[in-house]
Amino acid sequence: MRVVVVGAGLAGLTTAVDLVAEGAEVTVLEARDRVGGRMHGIPMSASVVADGGAAYLGVQHTELLALLREHGLGVASTAMAGDSTFLVSDRRTTTASRVPPLDAVALGDLFDRLEDVVAQVRPDAPWESPQAERLDRLTAAQWLADEVKHPDAQTFFPLFIGELMAADPAAISVLHMAFYLHSGGGIRYLNAFEGGAQQWRIDGGAHLLCEALAERLGDRVRLRHPVCAIDQDADEVVVQCVPNVQTARSEYRADRVVVAVPPLLAQGIEFRPALRAPRATAATGRGCAVKVHLAYPAPIWREQGLSGWSVSAHGPLLSTVDDSPPDQSAGVLTGFVTGAAASAFSALSSDEQRDAALAHTRRLFPQLPPPTQCSVTDWLAEKYSRGCYAALFGPGDWLRLGPTLTEPHGRVHWAGTETSLEFFGLMEGAIRSGQRVATELIHGAEPAAASRKVMAR
Amino acid sequence: MSPDHIVHIFRRVLNTPEVNASSDFFELGGDSLLATRVLSAIARDFGTELSYDDFVENPSPEGLFAKVAVVVP
Repeated sequence: MRVVVVGAGLAGLTTAVDLVAEGAEVTVLEARDRVGGRMHGIPMSASVVADGGAAYLGVQHTELLALLREHGLGVASTAMAGDSTFLVSDRRTTTASRVPPLDAVALGDLFDRLEDVVAQVRPDAPWESPQAERLDRLTAAQWLADEVKHPDAQTFFPLFIGELMAADPAAISVLHMAFYLHSGGGIRYLNAFEGGAQQWRIDGGAHLLCEALAERLGDRVRLRHPVCAIDQDADEVVVQCVPNVQTARSEYRADRVVVAVPPLLAQGIEFRPALRAPRATAATGRGCAVKVHLAYPAPIWREQGLSGWSVSAHGPLLSTVDDSPPDQSAGVLTGFVTGAAASAFSALSSDEQRDAALAHTRRLFPQLPPPTQCSVTDWLAEKYSRGCYAALFGPGDWLRLGPTLTEPHGRVHWAGTETSLEFFGLMEGAIRSGQRVATELIHGAEPAAASRKVMAR
Repeated sequence: MSPDHIVHIFRRVLNTPEVNASSDFFELGGDSLLATRVLSAIARDFGTELSYDDFVENPSPEGLFAKVAVVVP
């Protein structure tokens, strides 16, 4: 069987490795000049690389942990010691807890309401949840306005949804919010560092895993091959790349194609015959995340009794976290600009972004010297990702896109973290989607039935 | 209302039966997010709004009940 995989992110690479192991003839077409997609290493010093994109994992991410072990990669703990820093109501405070200085009862009410709505979602088929139509129509922001009126809950909610989903609550449906929180292991698991989805980082950087997978695939991976069209007939499928002086070939023939790119990019490919169901709609949004990495000679905030963890009510750096290497050979603070703040930040020039990030850092940590380096990774501006952490399903999207999320279009099959109902949006979801689609192709006869089986697992 | 009522709140929020009146919430695996849910349940059931600092200083059902009793004699 000849298979072309479109996209050399974690989902596409997993698919390719699994298919090669089963004897398939595989070619991976990647638009960028690197593999990894939304997993990308940012050099901070001669020996330290920060995660520009996906970074964290926890014990529930069993397939990711197995893949890391298989490739001899380790994990580094994110355990924090020291006080948190908060910039709320224009006041800077430091406390031992991770809870911002907001009304705790109001926050508890908010989490109670979130738990209630998460419990309403059918994780194996969100579009068939009771009240799916109502929950799919309503934005998360409208839902909050009805459910929790306390101003402190209103302040906290966009920060929380920004942190967990890289989303502006006004741009996603309640169904998407509730599904995402359920899919990732629940509110508490997704939010937690220790004992949660941020327990570890991949030692040396998450991109190392993609590089290890790509190395196994060798010259099957073709970089700088952006795919623009996919034609199929009864006999085969032809994948067309954007003509390019560096690209020797622009046409690849196969028996099957796996499209392993985010939904907004898949929607941009021209399919002949046309898709029966869209991959994204006008309501589907880009994950709104910009990461700012600040380098210091050492994690000096620790000497001042601070963990480096902060939360601010206003951007750009809505939160910061200590991502220093385990040997403390450098200090790395990662600032997260998410949700509506990311859209505003992305519109600034690089100088303005840097100035705003440094000014915010001075307010958060006035004792720190200026960083030796400040790197901005703007996923909103990335042509070949169109957002990060993951695509955001807006009002109406789950009912429209959900039922055909994994349904093949003839010879075209789908992978990518946004096609995984388990750990949607995370590295774990990407791997599971790759494994699912590889199984679908190998046991080919009834792809639709196979995908239902996997989804119900 | 008694400390037992807060024991039940702990059991529900922590999803474990292993709670008694002197159990430490954080030793049972509770974290700050779950602590706020205990505080919202106490506010609903006792009509008393405790702060997060109150919780951290008294992280057991009997400790929190004493705090509730002080606020509302």
